[in-house]
Order: sequence, then C-alpha cells, then structure tokens
Amino acid sequence: MLAFAVRRILYSIPVLIVASFIIFALGSASADPLAPLREKNPPAPQNVIDAETIRLHLDQPLLQRYFSWLGGIFTGDFGPSVVSTANIGADLGDRFLVTIRLIALAMVIALILAVVIGVLTAVKQYSKFDYTATFLGFLFLAMPAFWFAILLKQAGIEFNGLVGTQAIYTIGQASVPPPQGTGAYIADIIGHMILPTISLALISYAAWSRFTRASMLEVMNSDYVRLARAKGLTRRTVMVKHGLRTALIPLTTVTALDIASIIGGAVVTENVFQWKGMGDYLVNSIRMNDVYATASWLLIAATVVIAFNLIADLLYGVLDPRIRYA
Amino acid sequence: MKRTRAAAAAAVATAAALVLAACGGGGGAGGSSGGVYGDCATDPNTCNSAAPDQLQQGGTVTLASEKNIDNWNVISSEGNTDWTGMATKPLLTYAFYTSPDLKPTLNTDLLDSADLTNPTTVTYKIKQDAVWSDGTPVTADDFAMSWKWQNTRDCPECETAGNGGYDLIQSVTGSDNGKTVTVALSQPYTDWQSLFNSAAPLFPAHIGAQQGDLNSPAGLKAAFDYFGSTVPNYSAGPFLVENWQDNVALTLVPNPKWYGATKPKLDRIVIRVITDATQEPLALQNNEVQALFPQPQVDIVNQLQNIPNVSQYQAAGLSWEHFDFNLVNPFLADKALRQALYTSVNVQDIIGKTVGQFNSDIKPLTNKMFVPGQDGYQDNLTATGQGAGNVDAAKKILTDAGYTGVGTALVAPNGQAVPTLRMRYTVGNAVRQTESELFAASAKQLGVNVEIQTTDSLGTTLSTGDYDVIVFGWIMSPAPFGGAQQLWLSTSASNYGKYVNPTVDQLINEAASSTDINAARAQLNDADKIMAEDAYVLPLYQKPTLAAVQNTLGNVRNNASLDGITYNTSEWGIRSGS
Repeated sequence: MLAFAVRRILYSIPVLIVASFIIFALGSASADPLAPLREKNPPAPQNVIDAETIRLHLDQPLLQRYFSWLGGIFTGDFGPSVVSTANIGADLGDRFLVTIRLIALAMVIALILAVVIGVLTAVKQYSKFDYTATFLGFLFLAMPAFWFAILLKQAGIEFNGLVGTQAIYTIGQASVPPPQGTGAYIADIIGHMILPTISLALISYAAWSRFTRASMLEVMNSDYVRLARAKGLTRRTVMVKHGLRTALIPLTTVTALDIASIIGGAVVTENVFQWKGMGDYLVNSIRMNDVYATASWLLIAATVVIAFNLIADLLYGVLDPRIRYA
Repeated sequence: MKRTRAAAAAAVATAAALVLAACGGGGGAGGSSGGVYGDCATDPNTCNSAAPDQLQQGGTVTLASEKNIDNWNVISSEGNTDWTGMATKPLLTYAFYTSPDLKPTLNTDLLDSADLTNPTTVTYKIKQDAVWSDGTPVTADDFAMSWKWQNTRDCPECETAGNGGYDLIQSVTGSDNGKTVTVALSQPYTDWQSLFNSAAPLFPAHIGAQQGDLNSPAGLKAAFDYFGSTVPNYSAGPFLVENWQDNVALTLVPNPKWYGATKPKLDRIVIRVITDATQEPLALQNNEVQALFPQPQVDIVNQLQNIPNVSQYQAAGLSWEHFDFNLVNPFLADKALRQALYTSVNVQDIIGKTVGQFNSDIKPLTNKMFVPGQDGYQDNLTATGQGAGNVDAAKKILTDAGYTGVGTALVAPNGQAVPTLRMRYTVGNAVRQTESELFAASAKQLGVNVEIQTTDSLGTTLSTGDYDVIVFGWIMSPAPFGGAQQLWLSTSASNYGKYVNPTVDQLINEAASSTDINAARAQLNDADKIMAEDAYVLPLYQKPTLAAVQNTLGNVRNNASLDGITYNTSEWGIRSGS
C-alpha cells in the first residue's frame, strides 16, 4: 500500500504543475491587478502605478512570473498580493484552518446522517419513513445553497425571538468582543457554528443519503447476502458486516469526489455567514483582481482534492479486502 | 347564503388588499422611513439628536463595514478607501470635515481657528490641550509631515492618493510652541479649506520621526509606510484602537486623553467587517450589529423596511452617475450628434427604472461642478434640453445640422453612415446595464445603433479610451474648485474622453486660484454651461448613501460626504432606558 501511495503522489505532481500553470495563466489573462488603482477617484498618480507594476512583477513575462511564483511556494512565498501589507501564505494558512473547522464538522454530520438515513430507507423501502426521507433529500438537493442559508438565518432569528435570548448568530465565527467566562465563550462559538454547519451538512447529506440507499438496496438484493442469510447469519450481522461495508465503497468515492463541491459550497456558505475562511478569501481575491492570491488558493484547493482522492483509493482496500494495491 | 356570499366578498377584498399591499411595499419609497430619521431631510446635521443626559453611560455599538482595512494610512493610494477613512475617523484629527449638509466645517475640537490671513497665507490655531494619546501635543510638526508626504517634492516615493493643493504650499511653519501653524502658498488657493481636512488627516510626526529623518525622502517614506502597515496605537480623536482582527473587526475604546468638548458615552465601538452587504439587514435584525452604512439596493432597503424598531435614511451624496462620450470617435467629435443623443435621453425615466425604485426622492442632476446642497449649485442643463427625452427636438438638431436618415439609419452631413457606437459599463452592475439599455433605446429612435458591452476593468477601459459611450460614476470633491481641475481640465489624467475647450480650462484654473469665492463659483458655473452646451458629459443623478440604525441609538446619522457615518462618534450613544 505504501508503494501505491507513493506512486499516486508522484503521479499527482505533474497534474498539479499543469493545473497550477493553467490557473496562473488564466488568472493573469483575465484580471488586471492594477485596475482597482486605475479606477480610483481621483486616479492614482502614475508613480504609484509604476511602483505597483514592479512590485507585482507585471513588468516580467508570464512564464518568468509563473516560475518565480512556483519556486517561491517551496519557500513559503506565495507571491505579492495587491494588498501590499498582506502575506498570502500566512493568510491562506489562517483561512484554511477556519474552513477545515467548518467543512470537517459538516462532513462528519452529513456522513453520519447519510449512512443512517440511507440504510434505514433501504431497509424500510417504500415505507412512510422512506418517502419522507426521500422527499426531504430531494428538497435539500434542489435548494440553492445561498437561499437555504438565508432561510436558516431567518429561522435562527425566529428561534432567538422564541427563546428570548441570542443563542444563534448569523454573522462570523465569534462575537466581538468575545463574551466573558468559559461557558459563555463556548456557547458563543457554538451559536456561531450552528447555522453554517447545518447549511453545509444538509446539502451534502442529501446526495450522499441517496447513494447510500441505492447501494444498500443493490447489495441487500445480491446473491451473497441471500446466501449469508440462508447460512443462518442474523439480519443485523448481514446488514452491517456484509451489506453496509460493501455499500460504503461507492459512498467513499462520491465523498472524495464531492470535496471539490463542498469547498465550492463553503465559498457560498462562508460568504453568507461571513466566516473568514478560504471561500471568503477566494471571493475577495477575485474581486480585487489579486492574481497571486487567486492562483495560490486554487492550487491549494487542487491539492486538497487530489489528496482526498488518494485517501479514497486507500480506503477502498480497507473496506473491501479483495482490493489489493499492485 | 347571504352570509356565505358576504364572507366570500370579504375574503376576496382582504386578499386583494393583501396583494396590493405586497405589491406596493417594494418600490417608490422616499429617502427616509421615518422613525428617528424622520427629520433628516430637512435637518441633516441634527436629526436623531440626543443630548448627553439622554444617553446612557456605557454600552457597545457595532457598525457593519463592507470592506476590510488593508492599509491604515488613508493618505496613501492603497489606504484611501471609504471604509478605511470611516474606521480611522474616530482616531485621527483634521482641520476641516464635511458635515451632513455637505458644507466644509471647522473641526473645533482641534482648532480655535483657521483663517486665510492673506490670499496666500493660512493660519491654524491649534487648541493648547490638543494632544495625542501618549500625551504629545498636536503641533505644526504633524501638519508639516502631512504636507511633505503629499507635495510630491519632499517624498516622491510616497504613494499618495492625490496631492490636490499641497504642491502649492511653499512652507509650513510652527510658532507658539507649534500651536500656531502658518502655511504659505505660492498662489491663492480657493479650496484652502480642503488642506489637512478629514480626507487627508494628521498623523503623529513624533512617531513618524522614530522611523527616520522627516527631513529626508527616505525618512518620510519610512514613516509613510509605517503608518500604512501598523495598526494605530495612537489617537488624537475620541477613541483608541483596543483590538484589530484582520477581516473581522476593529474594536475602539474611549481615548482617555481626548481633549474634545464631547466625551464619548460608549464603552466600545466595534466596526465589524461584513463584506456582503445583503447580509447586513439580518445581522441588524438579530442585534449582531446596531448600525449599517451600506450602498443602497432595492433588496436591502426593502428588508430594512420590514425590521421593527429600525430607521433608515438615504441622503444624496457626492458621487454621481453620468454618460460620457469619447470625442476621439470622429462622428462623436460633431457637437450636433452629441447634443441630439443627449436630448433624446430621458434622465427622469432612467432614474425611475433604476435608483428610483428604492428612492423616489432622487432628481436629475443638472450641474457637473456642484451637487445640490453645495454652495454654487444651479441648474445649467435644463435650458439645453439635454436629458429631457425629447426625440423630436433631437431629430431637429440632426436635421438642422445636415444629417439624413434621421430615425432610420443616420448618415452624417459628409455622407458617411454613422457607425454602431460601443457603449461600455462595468460587468455585473445591473443599474448601469439598465442605464445603457435605455440610452441605446433612445439613440435607436434617432437612427443610431448602440452595441452594449461590459468591461471587467473600468479603469483600463477608461484610460485606454476603449469605448464610444460609457456610463460610470464620479465622486464630487467637497473641495469643488480643485475637484473641477482634476475632473475637467483638458490636461487632467481624468480627461478620458479627450474633451478640450481652452475657455473651460481658463475658467476652471482661474476659479481654483481666486480670492473671491463667489466669483469663483460663478466661473465654475460658466464653465459648466459651456460644457453642457458642448454635450460631452450628461449628468444623471446623485447616488444616495444609506444609513440604518436601531432606534435606541442617538446621534448616529447619515453623512453622505466622504466623512461618512463615523464623522461624530464622540456623540454616539444608547438612549437611556433602552
């Protein structure tokens, strides 16, 4: 497995390099980092524009800029931001932790819900529970993330009105200034996490529960499950040890592939709830025509997607002992 | 049966009333929703007033900000943004500011007086007790450092946002222990009140001197950059920075060394970064913020109308929307075509279909030198017929000038067909898209085709002249004379459409260095009339600014100038009993 993992990592390197070049070239071609300066009113003096041209390396050819950016990444230098005081690497590090906190919790909740609801709806196929869960699943699937998040905010405000205290927040990761006392501080953090986590989790859950249900149905109707039951194994043992384990393989694939869309969903969720994570950073970088920041963000996102695909490949072997890594 | 019919009729009537109410709720609102802002239209400087004894001692007010603070030096090109200006307003001091009625006003917290002692000398008398938060007096040295940064001679590397007027200063001299500042100008400067005003506030020279020799370009540059990259630990205003979380919030607490007449009542002001303005009304409703100052949009205005105990007020500001022609296009070099196109445009209709949807008080702007509220504003446009939407008059202009194919396919007097004009607007700006479409529709009636294209880089499009017609906004300077030089001189970097009229240049330059302000205003209006006749720019309307607060807040009001909502934070407070 180790050799397989190393080989997959080595395969990923050229993919990342090509992806990074495409990202950098497209970003450079589509955005003029000096445009915000030129749009200032009054217009920025020419000496300011000249100085920024040099600082942002815009006086260099594209290839030279790309390789100096790529080389800098290995030393932790992600290039100059249009914000002269900003450090792209440090900012991305901070933002990454915020987003991971949001995504990780949302994914865990979504996965637990997806597996539990998916298995139950498969086992109780065509029951009222199955119809209700199916309806809700399609409802969440159909809802645009932005709109769903706004609905949740409204619900949170109503909830606060009902309980007569501010338990749920709609903006940010924590109150400013933070409340005094450990208990109040923890409650404040949780109060800020509830809505964005639900928003991100329910949208992911909807698709995943449908996959789990379909896989479970397929497995439960297969010959080897019937054989296991015929040999006298209990329904529970067959379902958990044989059925669920096999059904989790496609879910693993889907989850790994969905990482990209979850990060995409986080862009919307972070914007609506004003979490200052990776998504908010990308939106701001694009707004400011910050080519280095945008390219660095996309490179990290591409790396995460590739890493999760690798993890999924490795998990196949754990879930299905027949799969061996050559 | 009768009762059933009556009940059905009542139900239908009720449903109809509900539908009508729902339809009517969205548009056509005026600038104010009443509440604590009920009298702002008539009394912008004192509306929502609360005397100190009506405010409670303490409390926190959170204000939503649409932008992060990337650079703390508001004099720098990078730091010269609306929200950095508003966030640092409670920390920095200045000679003049712009009050909500758009008048330049002496900062009496800092100064006893500021006078033009002769046409080329300004004398500032600083209050004896005016000090920075570390106890160091505010002196002429602070004025001198600001001047040296901006005059382009002493610090050519300082990337300032502008240098209006500072290049005319020959010397800044201190006397009376630095508490009297004498500024010598090389020529009269009509806008002398714009020098050292709130758009270019004072920074502490004694802290700047720790970064380098302020008599050398390198030292000045080091200080300039230091103030840009360092979170302020100094203040000469009513508040001090307690904490800054990048991209999250700026927390301010009262400055114990504040020397101003009004001591802050609040314990804290938090300026919370909410980069998506459409999220702000819900945050206000959930009491996570108590005051907003977003760009007005239909959705935001309507949401705010439905939040109980919240007042909102839109004030006409200094920024204004306009159409511009590019006179490099040989067809648009002909005045008759320009006049006809602008005469066919119906500005009132444009307003009704754009900003009028959330503010029915907005009127067509008819002057390019002044906005309503500024001394000197007068209607210089209506007499020309431009903006009236009079297609017949527009056709007559063309016919009289020898054009043919009027109303079908316009042909110039020289026999060449008028080609399709390219009109540009900023991508994603729905208001400007509508404005462009309405312009194209009116031009079509004259036989001129207009192709609408977006631009994702307005600055590049303007500076390269890559347009025939363009719609964008200018921010009118509170200092109109220097502002006119910057916008309208043929030699200005802002002359994107290559308009040249030596008479206009002469009038604007004379107005900017006049010793008689009334004569200067008349000269700017004369220049504006000539420009209107030349049909180079068609002003559309003043863009409003929007302030919304919970009704418990006192003295928080809409200042539509660049000073913004934070121009008077020392007066802010929470009403007693709230």
